[in-house]
Amino acid sequence: MREFFRRKVRLAWIVLAMFVLASVEMSMEAQSADAIQKRLQSFASDPLPTGVTREEAASFYKPDTLYEYIDGGADVYLLYDFQRLLHQNFKTGQGELTVDIYDLGKPENAFGIYSAERSPRYKFVTVGVEGYRSEGTLNFVQDRYYVKLAASGAGAALDPFARMLSRRIGGTARAPALLAKLPVERRVAHSEQYVRKDPLGHAFLAPAYLIGYTWAAKQESKLVLSVASDSAGAKARLGQFAKHFQQSGECVAAAELGENGIRAKNSYEGRVIARTQGRYLIAIFNPPENGAEVLKRTAQGLQ
Amino acid sequence: MEWNRRDFMVGPMVIAGTASVLGRTDSLLTKLLGDSGPLIQRTLGKTGLTMPVVSMGVMNADIPGILRRSYELGIRHFDTAAGYQGGRNEEMVGSVIKELGVRQEVIIATKQHMRNRPPNAAEAKRQFMDGVEASLRRLQMDHVEILYYHAVDSVEDARADGPLEALQTLKKQGKTRFIGLSTHKTSEILPEAIRQNIFDVFLVTLNYSMAHDTEMLNLLERAAKGGIGIVAMKTQAGGTAKPDAKNRKQLPPISQTALLKWALNHEFVTTAIPGFSTYQHLEQDFSVVRNLAYSAEEKAFLEDKNFFAQAEFCQQCGKCSQDCPLHVDVPSLMRSHMYAVQYRNAGLARDTIAGITGGRGLAECDGCESCKLSCRNSVQIGRKIAQLRTLARDHFVC
Repeated sequence: MREFFRRKVRLAWIVLAMFVLASVEMSMEAQSADAIQKRLQSFASDPLPTGVTREEAASFYKPDTLYEYIDGGADVYLLYDFQRLLHQNFKTGQGELTVDIYDLGKPENAFGIYSAERSPRYKFVTVGVEGYRSEGTLNFVQDRYYVKLAASGAGAALDPFARMLSRRIGGTARAPALLAKLPVERRVAHSEQYVRKDPLGHAFLAPAYLIGYTWAAKQESKLVLSVASDSAGAKARLGQFAKHFQQSGECVAAAELGENGIRAKNSYEGRVIARTQGRYLIAIFNPPENGAEVLKRTAQGLQ
Repeated sequence: MEWNRRDFMVGPMVIAGTASVLGRTDSLLTKLLGDSGPLIQRTLGKTGLTMPVVSMGVMNADIPGILRRSYELGIRHFDTAAGYQGGRNEEMVGSVIKELGVRQEVIIATKQHMRNRPPNAAEAKRQFMDGVEASLRRLQMDHVEILYYHAVDSVEDARADGPLEALQTLKKQGKTRFIGLSTHKTSEILPEAIRQNIFDVFLVTLNYSMAHDTEMLNLLERAAKGGIGIVAMKTQAGGTAKPDAKNRKQLPPISQTALLKWALNHEFVTTAIPGFSTYQHLEQDFSVVRNLAYSAEEKAFLEDKNFFAQAEFCQQCGKCSQDCPLHVDVPSLMRSHMYAVQYRNAGLARDTIAGITGGRGLAECDGCESCKLSCRNSVQIGRKIAQLRTLARDHFVC
């Protein structure tokens, strides 16, 4: 009986301790959320560039309220672990400047969402990792932040405001490290993407880096670097990839391509060659004539 | 890359030939190719536009191959918006349609939002029209078939002169053949939109969790009878994940087709725009386009009170909070539970709880011996809050 009572008391202490820990943890998380907001606010604080004044206080959006600002467009931000958005309007002369600073938690996530929205045809500027101008807007990515500026009659304010934000954000101004290990020659500038969901329509490939190349004569080639947890995971992904093409078109083993190499094609994705290299699945859609060689060199670069 | 019809027909034969090398597998595609019968087509209100009952919501798929495959299968209506992926989504749609050379055969819809509360109607109209012009440039088109006033979720916005004038002007200019309105708050917005008497199409949320909302369903039916075309979105929202974090049993794929068929079995719906982003989901969704009758499995799924009791789709109506003695923000807790269990997004679930203010959150919800709240949608509030506590303790870590 005493032992029973003792066990019950011990259990009660454990439950109480867990509850206290959970409460403390949630309190810390609330404080963490507060810190995120404060940091965002510091980026757009005084002093502002000459001629720019604050029109209103900043609004903040969280993951569950982001849709109120950008509706269905919020879904893709949530995929990239969106944390917070600072939204604020400023006045400059006769014009207005809208500032949106998205916190995505990690630099690769910020790069991912930035790359989902940029087009290789935009006019690029050197801000942070990279930025671009398009129709009265200037967007750039730096560290874990994706910054979007929109000017209405205030285009001249875009550059100085962007540079001010970039200085204050600090952190890393480099693209994700894996991109540097992939072929550089004939890469379509500004085509790199980091995709966390359904890369090229295949859920099992996520997450993956995608890059365009002008290797093939008529159409752009697309290199896919799918990142698995380990080599078994990469092999499993290749198996699913092969199965998809078996079902929709054609797929054959291709030992000359290296580790688990395959050649495949169908009517709506075209031709593809693929292989594994450790934890990576490497695929090239619309490969060039020397595709086997390109694939092998890419794999060597990842060793 | 050149593919001709022979290549496409030979493909399946090559599959058989390589089966000994890489193994044969069952294929939904093979079944689909084998299905006969015409696609079910419906006409969009008074517009005269006819389309299959399954269309493509392009929002989630910035993938040319998916769009090509959709067209190949028979989809003819593609829905995009200026705000999707910063305009890249429209660019992709425009490029693929141009590459396929099928502009005259497809029905393109895009959407324009009104943001940032312009100071007056004239400025709002100008911004709206400039936005649509930019969309047409990205689409490489001189017009679209449907232009929506995007995400109208307040009566104030539904009455905003600027966008309404812009829509009508753009229609007169031929930049759009028809104008529409999209909303997530059907019951609240549609009466005002109908009163405006300018819209040809409504794009509305419609899924099985709304089956009890006869008022909303009747409203849509009346709108359709009045000649307004109805397009359904979010037809499978919340239907994909396991209903219970501890329940390891996966939902069957037929849950998706069951939910889509439920929406399409309302005759007032012309078409649905599921947002598939994989080839697998595309084929799964399109598989209903010839036959909307429920299979025995689909029927069993929709009648499964256990599943829907477990899934317990919270409608966010807030009536439970009014009855709660501690005035806890129950809808937010239910939403957090949904993010944790159905979306499997612990971060989002955690932030939802953290965002509850005024001492109405999970920590405060501890003063009652047991939760006595009831929900008209059978949401087991007390049980879900208890689950949420466990999840918060075990999974909501930084």
